[in-house]
Amino acid sequence: MSGPTPVQIFHMEEKRKQYRSGSFFLKISLLALFLLVPFLFPSFKTVDLAMQIIIFGALVASFDILLGYTGILSFGHGMFFGLGAYCMAFLIGKYGMPSYSNLILGFVVAATASAVLALLISLLTLRVKAIFFSMITLAIAELAIVLTTKLSGLTGGEDGISFSTPGIFSVSYSMGEFMGIEITGKIITYYFILLSCLALFVAMLRFTHSPLGRILQAIRDNAQRAEALGNKTFVYQSISITFGCVVAALIGALYAMWMEYVNPESSLGVMTIMLDVLLMVIIGGMGTLYGGIIGAAFLKITQTFLPDLQSLAKHLFPQSELLHNILERWLLLFGILFILVVIFFPKGVIGSLQEYRIRKKKI
Amino acid sequence: MAESIFRRWNQELTMAGAGVLFLLPLLAIQPKTYLTLTIAGLAMGMLLFLVASGVSIIFGLMDVLNFAHGALFAWGAYVGFSVFQLLMKWVEADSVLQNLAVFCIAMVAAMVAVGLLGIILERVVVRRVYGNHLFQILITFGATIVLVELIRVFWGPNDEVTTVPLTFSGNWDIMDVVISRYRVICILLGAIVYAVIQLILKKTKIGTIVRAGVEDRDMVQAMGHNIYLLFTGVFAVGAGLAALGGLAMSIFSLQVYPDMGGTYLLFAFIVVIIGGLGSVTGSLVGALIVGLSYNYVAYLVPWAAAGVNVLIMIIILLIRPTGLFQAGK
Repeated sequence: MSGPTPVQIFHMEEKRKQYRSGSFFLKISLLALFLLVPFLFPSFKTVDLAMQIIIFGALVASFDILLGYTGILSFGHGMFFGLGAYCMAFLIGKYGMPSYSNLILGFVVAATASAVLALLISLLTLRVKAIFFSMITLAIAELAIVLTTKLSGLTGGEDGISFSTPGIFSVSYSMGEFMGIEITGKIITYYFILLSCLALFVAMLRFTHSPLGRILQAIRDNAQRAEALGNKTFVYQSISITFGCVVAALIGALYAMWMEYVNPESSLGVMTIMLDVLLMVIIGGMGTLYGGIIGAAFLKITQTFLPDLQSLAKHLFPQSELLHNILERWLLLFGILFILVVIFFPKGVIGSLQEYRIRKKKI
Repeated sequence: MAESIFRRWNQELTMAGAGVLFLLPLLAIQPKTYLTLTIAGLAMGMLLFLVASGVSIIFGLMDVLNFAHGALFAWGAYVGFSVFQLLMKWVEADSVLQNLAVFCIAMVAAMVAVGLLGIILERVVVRRVYGNHLFQILITFGATIVLVELIRVFWGPNDEVTTVPLTFSGNWDIMDVVISRYRVICILLGAIVYAVIQLILKKTKIGTIVRAGVEDRDMVQAMGHNIYLLFTGVFAVGAGLAALGGLAMSIFSLQVYPDMGGTYLLFAFIVVIIGGLGSVTGSLVGALIVGLSYNYVAYLVPWAAAGVNVLIMIIILLIRPTGLFQAGK
């Protein structure tokens, strides 16, 4: 009876190969690239782009926990992101002052508030049907935008709230020069957010690879069977939703730290943030977590260089009215891309690659 | 037996309770204002019913949650807007007949155009994802983006002002109660549409098949009916109803804009959750509840108007998670 079981042998094999595989080096080099960005490309535009990719990559991963691992589509993810951003803005901006304790308190409040709200929504909707979750989160998210805009005395309304970050994170802080680059508060904030997002990402990886994550995937693939095996689907789905939403709120708080500004459109919007997040998760691949980074990189880079592309097209083809019109309406192209990807590559970039690799292995 | 009597009484008690609830605002509002608000609420409810019934029937029969319904609604508004632009002379004419004619032409044009759009949408996009809720929501959401962007390409990205046919505008003044004419027309329109839908569902063969399909799709297919043809037809009718709602709503609110579908889609979702997915009568009741309470609260506490419907929806979800009415009823 002694000796490892086939499953254990497989796991040992996996572990041995873990640090030698190509994908491991890819991940490490990606991380190194993000770490070096402020030194390689010191212009603010590039650093901002890298930061946006990191923040949205992590946000999409947290959305993926709901969509790809639990099989629940939430339109309120942008709302939780905005909730975190507004908690931070309230505590170090409007109703508090920039200090380290308020910064930490901001994260704590963001996590608590989002956990309570997510639990309430999931308790209300999941006992009926999973699709109710989509409809109700859409309604509540829209309500959140309306309330934030209307109650302008409380939330700053459409103008939003601008604030400054405390101590070493503030823009005016300078730590001196390093490798010819001045280490400002902005760069320290960049590294702080990068490391925080990395920590959150690792936490999400642990979550999805835990026994709980396996049960969630079982529920997603066949809810009835999972329930018949004795798993309380309702409880597990609620836990997963709450976890995903808390992570989204924390990322929102980090985003507020980077922007030093929140307003309803950029932080809460259903059509702005949710659209981006959905596109990113579909392009990158549902149920992969890493897909978020690919999707975020693709979309953010395209959006950043779109004006350049437009002027280039105008320069090259001055006569073609149609081309200009289409480039003006780039969202149309993204929408068509979205539908095509859902129909033909429902697994996205990463998912399709994984499938290809598995198929190659079998042959 | 006893249980069924109890259930029937239960429903009547609920109705009575709801009636009392809707008289409550009288404590805070002048009776005359209350009447005006009630008419406005009924009109808004009837327009919401036009949108919600489509969502509800499509879900009931096809098990598809159509997030693109809001975009179809906006398309209906824009097609109607174009017809009004083309026949501006008739719109501005001081004759009931000409106004009515242009209104009817716009209705038919919007319903036909958007119905065709619905057929294309169902055949090309929705058909590929039957049976998978997640992908349905995703793909219809993508379709929404495309449709709204197409509106921007064809009609331009800006808000446009619509004109009310001349004889439809203005008010009647009955015993000092101000009643807007167009609102009465909306209420009539909604009532007629409800009657027609009920007649078709209850009295015709197609309606019987549709109702049977809501109860059990596989069985209808086993009886030899082409359920996919039925799906396309119902989707087109649902799209046409959305277009009708969009046209009527654009005249009601005096404007059209590309994103207008989003707001009313939300209202439609709240309505179908309250009324029960798959039930036409439920959509009507839900829509009236939403329309009335929105108007009362918007008068009393303006900032809470958007919240009260979500609140009602949450209460309904707590006491009757599947909505007030059963599917197919």
